[in-house]
Amino acid sequence: MDDILDEMTSAQDLKKFEREYNITLLNGNLDPKVQFQYAWCLVRSKYSSDIYKGILLLKNLLDTSSMERRDCMYYLAIGHARIKEYNKALEYINLFSTTEPGNTQIEHLESLIRNKLREKRDRNGSLIAIAGITSLISIFLMKK
Amino acid sequence: MSAGPYNYSYIFKYIIIGDMGVGKSCLLHQFTEKKFMADCPHTIGVEFGTRIIEVAGQKIKLQIWDTAGQERFRAVTRSYYRGAAGALMVYDITRRSTYNHLSSWLTDTRNLTNPSTVIFLIGNKSDLEGQRDVTYEEAKKFAEENGLMFVEASAKTGDNVEEAFLETAKKIYQSIQDGRLDLNAAESGVQHNPSQPGRTNLQGVLSVQQGGKDSCSC
Ligand SMILES: Nc1nc2c(ncn2[C@@H]2O[C@H](COP(=O)(O)OP(=O)(O)OP(=O)(O)O)[C@@H](O)[C@H]2O)c(=O)[nH]1
Ligand SMILES: [Mg+2]
Repeated sequence: MDDILDEMTSAQDLKKFEREYNITLLNGNLDPKVQFQYAWCLVRSKYSSDIYKGILLLKNLLDTSSMERRDCMYYLAIGHARIKEYNKALEYINLFSTTEPGNTQIEHLESLIRNKLREKRDRNGSLIAIAGITSLISIFLMKK
Repeated sequence: MSAGPYNYSYIFKYIIIGDMGVGKSCLLHQFTEKKFMADCPHTIGVEFGTRIIEVAGQKIKLQIWDTAGQERFRAVTRSYYRGAAGALMVYDITRRSTYNHLSSWLTDTRNLTNPSTVIFLIGNKSDLEGQRDVTYEEAKKFAEENGLMFVEASAKTGDNVEEAFLETAKKIYQSIQDGRLDLNAAESGVQHNPSQPGRTNLQGVLSVQQGGKDSCSC
């Protein structure tokens, strides 16, 4: 574990905040704070299905509630990055930076995401190179 | 990052806690980057930093969780306490309210960490002597009564910042040497790096992960 993108919620915390959220749902008095806490745990889950759910809840808060927009944008960026949707994550970083330029916490996250994106590109690049070499070899062998 | 994953023998997990605006993020930044941030916005949730230090000739990697002090984050940041080997509890010497809240921070820390967790009290912003609202003596007394280590520090000038982080690590390391800190216990907040030369009876701690990870695999 070397950065905030690797860090994960424990199963018991996820359950605890899920229960609180479900109670507010059942009682029909949705509390943005409770929804945020649950979403914050979901985007740090090890299961991508949880992360998707967390993203939906955060997006809903960002669009409809008076919750701090910076909190939502930050964890939306983390959620998308954790399911390797790096460009979507960077969109939220950009959105954040328009209202609060020069925030070091966001800049830190941005550089993490850009590193991941570069790694992904390098990996894809070498896959293409390998594919290229393999086909050259097969052409060469076929000619023989 | 220059240091590879095997350049240290231990990992210690730290948390930094305390009211909003006391200077937690600035202390971390001063410790990891040796710079002061004059206009630091409130932390969102938690921020993370690392630095490799040396104690008694052993390289130790500190994994530091800087928690947000704003009330709305409190419920979730509590889950980061689990498995911390060190807790830096910070107040602002120019704002008495941040000092008055220490007992509630301490109660949380005691309830959520383990008995071997080293708690270090930091009175930050010692450069603002003219605005002082909490005396050194009363804070020292509070620390002694509660068995905490204590310094006044300044994230701005860097005064005593290294000391606070390093003294905490020395105390943790001492607990390992004395056998007071059980490396085999889950959530000790310490991991031994088995690829480094070390005492063989510590090999079993490979399974000791931080709170977050071990609890989700079960
Ligand atoms: N003079 C002086 N100012 C400081 C010092 N440490 C922090 N500050 C200032 O105090 C303000 C708050 O510092 P932060 O580090 O953001 O406080 P925090 O505890 O992380 O706050 P939250 O993230 O909201 O919990 C910033 O404007 C800093 O510049 C210090 O040692 N001396
Ligand atoms: Mg902060």
